[in-house]
Amino acid sequence: MDLTRRALRAAAARPRVLPAALPGGTPARLEAERLLRLRDWPVAATPAGADLLLVTGPDCPALHDPLARLWGDLPAPRARVHAATAAEVASALDTGRERLAAWSGRGSGAQGHAGGNDRVQEPPEGGGGHAHGQADDGDTGTGMPMPGGLPMAETGPDRDGLALDRLHLALGPFLCDWPTGLTVRLVLQGDVVQEAVCEDPAAPGGTPFWSGPWLRAAAGEPVTAGAAARHRAAATCDSLGRLLAVAGWPEQAVAARRLRDGLLAGAPAGALRGPADRLARRVGRSRVLAWLTRGIGRVDGGRTGGSAPAGPPGADGDATDRYRRWLDRLGRDVRHLDDPAPLDPYATESPRGPWEPAHPPSAALLALLPALLVGAELAAARLIVAGLDPDPEELAGAGVAPRG
Amino acid sequence: MDTTDTVLLTVLGVLALAGGVLVFVLDSMARVTFALLVSLACSGGVVTLLGLPYLGVVTVLMMVMEMVIMAVFMIAYMMNPAGLMPMSMLHNTRGALAVSAVLFAALTTGIFAVPWPGREGRPPRDSTVQLGTALMEGQMLTMVVLGLVLLSTMVGATVLATQRGRYDRFGDDLDRRPARDPVGGGVGR
Amino acid sequence: MVERGPWWTVAAAPLLLAALAALAVAADALLAARGAGRPVTLTAAARPFLALPRALVAGPRRLPAPDLLLWRAGVVTVPVAAVLSTLVIPFGNTVVADPSVGVVWFNAMEVTTWAALWLAGWGPNAAFSLIGGYRFLAQGLAYELPLMFALIAAATGAESLRVGDIAAAQQGLWYAVWMPVAFAAHLAGVLAFSFLGPFAHPAGRDAAGGVLGELSGPDRLLLQAGRWLWLASGAAMAVPLFLGGGAGPGLPAWAWSLVKTLLVLALLVVAARRLPVVRPDRYVELAWVVLVPLTILQVLVPALVVLGR
Repeated sequence: MDLTRRALRAAAARPRVLPAALPGGTPARLEAERLLRLRDWPVAATPAGADLLLVTGPDCPALHDPLARLWGDLPAPRARVHAATAAEVASALDTGRERLAAWSGRGSGAQGHAGGNDRVQEPPEGGGGHAHGQADDGDTGTGMPMPGGLPMAETGPDRDGLALDRLHLALGPFLCDWPTGLTVRLVLQGDVVQEAVCEDPAAPGGTPFWSGPWLRAAAGEPVTAGAAARHRAAATCDSLGRLLAVAGWPEQAVAARRLRDGLLAGAPAGALRGPADRLARRVGRSRVLAWLTRGIGRVDGGRTGGSAPAGPPGADGDATDRYRRWLDRLGRDVRHLDDPAPLDPYATESPRGPWEPAHPPSAALLALLPALLVGAELAAARLIVAGLDPDPEELAGAGVAPRG
Repeated sequence: MDTTDTVLLTVLGVLALAGGVLVFVLDSMARVTFALLVSLACSGGVVTLLGLPYLGVVTVLMMVMEMVIMAVFMIAYMMNPAGLMPMSMLHNTRGALAVSAVLFAALTTGIFAVPWPGREGRPPRDSTVQLGTALMEGQMLTMVVLGLVLLSTMVGATVLATQRGRYDRFGDDLDRRPARDPVGGGVGR
Repeated sequence: MVERGPWWTVAAAPLLLAALAALAVAADALLAARGAGRPVTLTAAARPFLALPRALVAGPRRLPAPDLLLWRAGVVTVPVAAVLSTLVIPFGNTVVADPSVGVVWFNAMEVTTWAALWLAGWGPNAAFSLIGGYRFLAQGLAYELPLMFALIAAATGAESLRVGDIAAAQQGLWYAVWMPVAFAAHLAGVLAFSFLGPFAHPAGRDAAGGVLGELSGPDRLLLQAGRWLWLASGAAMAVPLFLGGGAGPGLPAWAWSLVKTLLVLALLVVAARRLPVVRPDRYVELAWVVLVPLTILQVLVPALVVLGR
């Protein structure tokens, strides 16, 4: 018994955290990522590999159900904490660790009641969709007992003309290295996307974090170009961190996120130029990464009459072109961190593209997704989303539908 | 052959047989495949113990790869999605039973009816060298022909199975670069 | 000359392998700490091992209709095969078992990870896991043939499949020097069958951890440990195959083996962090169009040398 307690306490020194970011809580998410990095608490990719469910951001009733399922899938010992704002994150993490260290199995019968047959109609979730069926009706109607109560998969023609099983899988709203609040419903054959539908992102309240300076400047508040450059550089680093994590390059993903945290913490420009240039050199000049992302998610930005889907000029080219443009912009931005001139929100590009109040740039990026995802393999699909990195908060902030 | 070898031989032989029986008893395609793999790996062990280590270990090596690839194709093409639905592995039970009974009887009769030769000479110090010499000296022509036949069969089967040919990939004049593929490859042809 | 060790080497070999794997994990943790801006201390190196008490107390994850038997068989096979593969790897002048087909034995044990990872992906009946399992097969089709030709190149040079003979045959010149392509293919193969670094696609973060995604408790620990045990085993195998085994001036043979193994291991740990994940949809074509012909030509080199000898 004593041994168990000691093992629990030892394990609680390094809890594995499953972060669940709610829409509208970007500062809390960023603070959580920073603290987890500094404390060396690993970020789990699925409930199975996690001890601590860390919910960040303001409460969002629309996401209660997926959150409850995520929580139900965490194996014991486990703890769940919620940090609504960035200031609460540190204490929430401490609370979580204490609960894990003092875990006694009380009220833990949990795991399982959410893992049973009620998962037939699996709503969107981060952890793992199940390999079987999930046909929409949930019952084949034959009266045959189905293994695990899961419906049979239905077949459909695949790209080679074979009839193969179709798997309905939802990416998001809680998935690691994924835009907050976004849900994409996929129909997969093998790991090839046959159909993709973007759901309307869960609506957050308040102003979107990343385009904040542009919104404030448009509303007439004084915002300096330097502050906007710092904000945009941080946004770029956040997107790069996601893309590099999805591309399986944790070393550089951490470097990008460290730079982002430095930018947001207001580090002096001189201290940031070195890391920014190093990131641009290591990632931008990496032939391997360019080889791996070549031709993925090709968008026609209106310059050529190719067969690729048309999109905004900022999204032109393939994934390689896009992350190289991010790195170029990052290099320019870190050289203008102290620019005292006022920000012209319409002349200066916002993090996701030129700012228009009625048509936030993320709406165009989201509208691009379905056409780009169909035909891609799952790994490429993740790279496409991470390489465009739309920010669903912008849509809710502007009050527009995603297909705007 | 000492006692350890005899015990191992017996255990592996029984395991191989049990794996073989499980192939027909189990009702999941994945489990059946890996029961067959256990059976074949144990046969590899038996061959090793009988003094042919190269053949034995290579049997294990090849069978692991083959069974996994086989599992992939069987599960991809069967009507039972993803193989979790219990299904019987027995088809045409009466005919199969008759065929296997006759075969078993014939083989068993053969074991007892054939006048087995007595041992002459000594086993080679290294059976792998002997095997290599046999394949690459005495039977070289056979092996070369066999290798070519196998290769051309594989290439032919792949060509027949592929829906898209080079004209689909490279265009009517075979001059489209890069090729039009659903997913780009790594060399950029 | 390499000789069979006494009975206790059967227990010593797995312990030594585990120690090497633990060193690799600690080194990786230190590199990660430096990259993340945390203090690079002994504590930082030891923190990954908190996964041990965690595995002891963690409960299982319940899933609808998993195939527990196959799942567990797959998870257990990875570390077990890694330990079995070390039986034929000489450490200094001692080896646990010295079969005449040691190279083939190592290869066969390594190939069992194909089956093991497919099973580990299949067992939990979850989409991302299954995708992870299939990813390893695609990766296997790419890395396996170059690796096999690399092993064959070393065996051809020594005219023997016995690992000890191969080490002994490099008295004059290491095979790594005049068979660099085979050496490189072997190292790439080691990273690939440990599914670490650039070959971590089967456990990729884009598929929510892939084969690792649904594992918790001791099962997760076993599969994670299996990766690092394989990395250590592959590094140890590179020493007799390409770096002259325990041969070297001054130090005893076991010390040379240890030094060379640690160097190869360090090289692999650093390389694993330097590259993004190489997806099979790109790597398969590269492997078949470029690496397989290159490694076949590499086998031709020792074959001609042996013929002319």
